[in-house]
Amino acid sequence: MPLRAPSVARFGRPPAIRKPLPLSPTTRLPQPPVKIVTRDFAPCRLEDHYHSTLQDNLMYLTYTHELGPRPPPRQIRLTYDPNNPYSKYRHNPPVGGSQLGRKLPPPCTPENVVQLEKVQIHIMNKEAITNRSNLLGTVMALRALTGETEKAGGQHAVEGVQIVRGKKQVGGWIRKGIPVGAKVTLKGPAMYDFIGTLTEFVLPRIREFQGVELPPASANTETPSAVSGVVSFGLPPSAMAFFPQVEVNQDAYPKMYGMHIHFVTNATGVGAQDRARALVSGFQIPFVRRS
Amino acid sequence: MSRGSIFQISSSVYCQRKAMSTGSLWSISRPAIRTCRRTMATQVSEPVLQPQKGPKPVLSTAVILNRSPTITRTPTMFERAYYSYQARLRRALSNPFPYDFYFKPGSILETRFTMEEQKRERRAFGPTFGKQDDYDKEKAAANRAAAQQLAEQEGESEEMMPRVHSSDEARDYKSLDRKGKRNLYLLLKDTNDAWRFPQGNVEKGELLHQAAQRDMHAECGEYMDAWIVSRNPIGHYKPPMTLSPKGKPLPEQVTFFFKAHIMQGQCRPAETIKDFAWLTKQEIESYVDKHYWDGIKDILSDH
Repeated sequence: MPLRAPSVARFGRPPAIRKPLPLSPTTRLPQPPVKIVTRDFAPCRLEDHYHSTLQDNLMYLTYTHELGPRPPPRQIRLTYDPNNPYSKYRHNPPVGGSQLGRKLPPPCTPENVVQLEKVQIHIMNKEAITNRSNLLGTVMALRALTGETEKAGGQHAVEGVQIVRGKKQVGGWIRKGIPVGAKVTLKGPAMYDFIGTLTEFVLPRIREFQGVELPPASANTETPSAVSGVVSFGLPPSAMAFFPQVEVNQDAYPKMYGMHIHFVTNATGVGAQDRARALVSGFQIPFVRRS
Repeated sequence: MSRGSIFQISSSVYCQRKAMSTGSLWSISRPAIRTCRRTMATQVSEPVLQPQKGPKPVLSTAVILNRSPTITRTPTMFERAYYSYQARLRRALSNPFPYDFYFKPGSILETRFTMEEQKRERRAFGPTFGKQDDYDKEKAAANRAAAQQLAEQEGESEEMMPRVHSSDEARDYKSLDRKGKRNLYLLLKDTNDAWRFPQGNVEKGELLHQAAQRDMHAECGEYMDAWIVSRNPIGHYKPPMTLSPKGKPLPEQVTFFFKAHIMQGQCRPAETIKDFAWLTKQEIESYVDKHYWDGIKDILSDH
């Protein structure tokens, strides 16, 4: 009989448990002696695409040549004298406001090519202001869309679907501290899977969707959103029905919800949003100019 | 970012580099020259410092025309073992699936899903996992029949495309379908029987990236849709120094490379081109000469 190597993807019976495992005092469930953490469990197509094609292209696209080291930053006088004991611990921005919008991006190197860090999906549900149980449909929809649960796979940093509460009291609209929406943060393969679903199932099926509208050429390029490397856009409620996870049992949800999607990248400084858009469009999310 | 001025930038870098490497006059730094010139206006007796002009280098552009991978790469043995172990762990630790939320109780879809799920669980946790559950053999047989009927209705017998294309078996180096897992690059064989990337000269007053676009179409034909990724050159190559018959050094040749992606169509090379081939990085090494390979190998992708 020819010798065959055992398959690496098949497993035999797990070893028998000889000594009963200690029970958790809270859940009364048996606890394994080590902390089990699960990691990537499948190759990720879009992540491979980033590393084989996009990363090189973005480095060439966004490269800015600099001759020699940069000149030292201009010293701008602070609003208050920092040596004055009276204003020592006061917030002390430079004269003319913080220079956040004019901060230069770090020099282009192969190490800091623009890269996706996380994708955040956020749904606000106004009906939750009157009755917080209206949030259940929102939470369920987000869980179905992303499959995220708190501390999934033993990863303590995975937060799952989180409830968003009102930040401020705004008369006639919102109250401070009441739940008004839900959000979920995706990282790693889950993030790339979501982008894949979005670009292959959802965006092509939205009616009269030409692409995400770019701001006009006259838009201010020094705003915090333009220099923080985040690309955001919204989807209408009708788009949720196109996600295959929701499409299979659309009747189970009280209604369809629109959502905001934020693509957070590592780009910073002047022109960061443009670089982030170049990256996101590499994942086949179209952008159009306003006509 | 000033994209319009890239040619000026690259040429100034080039001049500066040349200043570093060549003759003694050029090695004087720029401020020094400036001070010399300033003194020239006042003191005529000082010796005039004029940079000696050699022959101008001949610039040309080449396009590294890339076909990106079309199918996913095959995971290694280690990756497969790792992924299947992690998938098994995740299956053991995940929350129970809410059947009643996704399926109508007792529907054929639910039956099929349960059967498939059982198969996956036995693959993960061993062949005896959940055996004691299917006590009713008649019911199990009925379930299988129902699932099979559903599969026939939906026409699920679609065949998967093979991961090896027929052009791989036929060793057709001109096909764009070959080596789907790898990055392919277009190489041309010129009249000197040398293999190289599509290239051409830069005309006077032309920007480098415009020259690249023009030269690519001149050599590869109009029957393809290609996108030059960036206006920045991604590398440069200088062939070894050659001497004229009189023994004087000929002007230096510099080739700037630009990356491009082929989107559609196929290369139909001009008449001056003898042959073309779409090759992976490893294959290119055996085609081109050693000096050219040393100049380009770090530009190409190992993926």
